[in-house]
Amino acid sequence: MADYREAPLATRPKTLDPNEYFNLSPDYRRAEAERAALRAGLKRQYQLQLNNPHRKELIEDPALNRWVYARANPYNHFKATKKTSLLGALFGVAPLFILYYVFKTDRVCYGGR
Amino acid sequence: MLKILIPTLFLLPTTWLTSSKWLWPTALTQSMLIALGSITWLNNTTDTGWTALNSYIGTDPLSTPLLVLSCWLLPLMLLASQNHLSSEPMNRQRMYITLLATLQLFLILAFGATEMIMFYVMFEATLIPTLLVITRWGNQTERLNAGTYFLFYTLAGSLPLLVALLMLQNNTGTLSLLIIPYAKPLLLMPFGSKIWWAACMIAFLVKMPLYGMHLWLPKAHVEAPVAGSMVLAAVLLKLGGYGMMRLMIVLDPLSKEMVYPFIVLALWGVIMTGSICLRQTDLKSLIAYSSVSHMGLVAGGILIQTPWGFTGALILMIAHGLASSALFCLANTNYERTHSRTMLLARGLQIALPLMTTWWFIASLANLALPPLPNLMGELMILTSLFNWSAWTLILTGIGTLITAAYSLYMFLMSQRGPLPQHMLALPPSYTREHLLMALHLIPLLLIILKPALLWGWFAC
Repeated sequence: MADYREAPLATRPKTLDPNEYFNLSPDYRRAEAERAALRAGLKRQYQLQLNNPHRKELIEDPALNRWVYARANPYNHFKATKKTSLLGALFGVAPLFILYYVFKTDRVCYGGR
Repeated sequence: MLKILIPTLFLLPTTWLTSSKWLWPTALTQSMLIALGSITWLNNTTDTGWTALNSYIGTDPLSTPLLVLSCWLLPLMLLASQNHLSSEPMNRQRMYITLLATLQLFLILAFGATEMIMFYVMFEATLIPTLLVITRWGNQTERLNAGTYFLFYTLAGSLPLLVALLMLQNNTGTLSLLIIPYAKPLLLMPFGSKIWWAACMIAFLVKMPLYGMHLWLPKAHVEAPVAGSMVLAAVLLKLGGYGMMRLMIVLDPLSKEMVYPFIVLALWGVIMTGSICLRQTDLKSLIAYSSVSHMGLVAGGILIQTPWGFTGALILMIAHGLASSALFCLANTNYERTHSRTMLLARGLQIALPLMTTWWFIASLANLALPPLPNLMGELMILTSLFNWSAWTLILTGIGTLITAAYSLYMFLMSQRGPLPQHMLALPPSYTREHLLMALHLIPLLLIILKPALLWGWFAC
């Protein structure tokens, strides 16, 4: 069974920092409490799945699925902006012509050396 | 030739008539015996080079290695598919084996054909079982898209080939591979000749695939089940290379001018697809793009039409066939355990499955062309002949080799080293079947080191 630890890289919310606590408005504290409740719900879901003795498959991470889908389907969301057109021309079109010119001159003028 | 063709043909009644308990052992044994029988073709006894010759089929030092590779692959495909098919109804299992066996039959007839039209018909015929395997047994919904891309890219490329072959037949009177090397070249108006040259080559360049027309390959390889991926990577790509090598001899004086754009595309494709490999998250997609990269080198080697280029291309085709198929089998072992192709999910496997790490290691080393494996020998011959063709190609092929090493190591380190995901529970240990499968892929590759002359084709000297 995996042990639960706090996320070491996550920033500590302001409501848990004693130096800041009394500078915050009650509305902000309420909002923070709600967000903490949501996070705790997600962590509870994960822990339930993690420690379920009848689980045989992997725990599905929707964020990972979204990331993998995004990496695998770039063309669906492609837009021809100035930057993408420049990159496409620089890496996809120009090298073909440059290489054709280089090989042709090399072979025709210098006989391939 | 009939010693191999008739047993392959009769694999079809075998799969439908054996009882369900004995289906897989019988199919495996029969295909293994066919594979062992096909190795006898490597013995090239005649002076002219054409062995087992009759009016329709023959073998020569160019087609023999590819024939042995296709025959060797069928038992391996059956071994790899056994697990994921075991839960399916019997009729579907029999259908699957039937499709693989018919694919095998068409492949043997394609590589053994002495008449170009027969080669063309078999070339097209191999598309059908592969399409059925991809679309019916693939795992994701994208398999339909993949099948469409696969079918229509290849068909669109090969229709001009039919027209070109018929024009050649009209002009020369024959399309037999023994005769057309000596026939007069086709002299049309200057522009017509160029179109005819392109029509002959485009089909094979799409199949290889060449960099600009490679979009079907990652889709088809990723969506296919393991046997489909294996046969696609190992043999079907080589059909393109084989066709190019056969037709190059006929196209000779035209080729001097026409090859430049395609060599440029092939070599630039080596670098571009290699770079794409470094950014992949999907393991099978990485292996598919590495296939495009290696085949770009093969295309470059064939297009310059030198003896070393052809020899290097043939050796690299065989070595890549075995290594790439091995990598797809390894990816499948991951997939069967985690049901996901994401590399991030299947990390640190050296701790969990240490014996499989050996096979991962050898297969990755083969992919990055480690000496003395034949992958390096083929690559080196192509590199040197390209350097002779024009010194500037060395920059491209050098960077390509570097990127190949980078992504092969990346794949190995990503899957084997690193932390094992903490939520993975049910990782069955490696089955003996999987070890046997990997051994049968990699031991021939290691044995080829001892006698590479078997693979040198026509220019073995």
